Amino acid sequence: MTSFLSAAWGVAAKDIRVELASRTAITTAAAFGVLTLVVLNFARDPTVVSLATIAPGALWVTAAFAGIVALNRSFSMELEQGGLDALLLAPVGRGAIYLGKYLANLAFVVVVDLIVLPVFVLFFNVAPTPALVGILGLLVLAAAGYVAVGTVLAAMTVRTRFAELMLPVLLLVFMVPPMLVGVQATTRLLGGRPMGEIVGWFWFLILYDVVFITLGLMLFPATVDE
Amino acid sequence: MTRGGLWISGLAMAGIAGVYWLALLGTPTERWQGLSQKILYIHAPAAWAALLAFGLVGVASAAYLFLRDIRLDTFAEASAEVGLAFSAIMLTTGPLWGRPVWGSWWEWEPRLTLTLLLVLLFVGYRALRNALDFPEDRARYSAVVGVMALVLVPFVHLSVYLFRTIHPQPVLLKPSAPSMPWEMLRTLLTSIGAFTLLYIGFVTARYGIGRRRQQEAG
Amino acid sequence: MNQEQATTGGYMVAAYLITAVILLGYFASLYRRGRR
Repeated sequence: MTSFLSAAWGVAAKDIRVELASRTAITTAAAFGVLTLVVLNFARDPTVVSLATIAPGALWVTAAFAGIVALNRSFSMELEQGGLDALLLAPVGRGAIYLGKYLANLAFVVVVDLIVLPVFVLFFNVAPTPALVGILGLLVLAAAGYVAVGTVLAAMTVRTRFAELMLPVLLLVFMVPPMLVGVQATTRLLGGRPMGEIVGWFWFLILYDVVFITLGLMLFPATVDE
Repeated sequence: MTRGGLWISGLAMAGIAGVYWLALLGTPTERWQGLSQKILYIHAPAAWAALLAFGLVGVASAAYLFLRDIRLDTFAEASAEVGLAFSAIMLTTGPLWGRPVWGSWWEWEPRLTLTLLLVLLFVGYRALRNALDFPEDRARYSAVVGVMALVLVPFVHLSVYLFRTIHPQPVLLKPSAPSMPWEMLRTLLTSIGAFTLLYIGFVTARYGIGRRRQQEAG
Repeated sequence: MNQEQATTGGYMVAAYLITAVILLGYFASLYRRGRR
């Protein structure tokens, strides 16, 4: 077990180090996220539609799109450098590779979310209450789920033509349940509803995460078979 | 296989023609929804066939990953395509039924939403298959997507259900089975039978086409 | 038949027609591909 985890951590650490060196995935995704927030702010008649009305949706759409950009970049860089092939030759189990890539990708997406959230608070005039901690928690839990799916999908789509279009087309459907639930819970948190009302939504996200991380561990080997 | 499938399909379509006659002329018209309710006799069976098709793609995908028999992949490819055909019926007849009855073309209710998402996913599935040149890769990757799609279904259903129960909804007039008069139930069941047979026919024919294409390439 | 009945009737006919077109069209597609 420990060798599995340390192997996974080794894979994750390598990916994170590579990304920290160039920071391409995170900067591109974060910039895209901020731009999305700007666009969404202008995509309404301000005299009719208030910021509060569109805020939850805007946050989650932005987080979803920025997450996809981060995932895409992460894998395409891998492909350019031939890293995956080298990794497969090393005596590291497929499951450990998946977990390592998953953790690295999750780290990238969470960092992007950490950049997007304050900008969101800024643009959408959100009150700085403890509710924001809950919202960050929702974003991380949702990301934990769709990054599990995205890591499997990206490993496949990166070998196709139109890779950067293929990933969103497949991944967005898998993002619907966590996003739907995330928006509902965010609306309630911003509306000051008691935690008791919202806990159920958190459990949904946790269930989604557990199921798809397990599934990812089982399916990832099939994406890198020779 | 192709020819057998085409024959079964032809037979099933004759059956559906019979269902048309039965539904339009041999079944009483429902009181509240009027003529719109008759769309049920094609919408519901088409939905059933679509979900059956997509469900079997998931099962075949899982089986392929265990057994690595390429025929399972050929079947999955066939069932996905047939599923899209039946989904097209469901997603066009749905709004045509919904508009006069609900007052809106579309509702984000669990069944319609799930079908819509599955359609989008399987359009992506086809695109993925077309973007891959090696049959082995194509089979493996498609199977992975197929299995993930199957697992996703309950999550979509649950989340949309949660979405709906919070928001005020228009009255959804769907005749429930026990209180449906016999003449209507009979027509509905006949239609379901005909559509199921049509699924079998279509998928067999499409499987045959896929097999032949594979053998020619291999 | 009043206006409302005509509309719902029209939608119903459209639904039945579209279904027939889709089924026949798909059958034709299978037939054509099967012949080759």
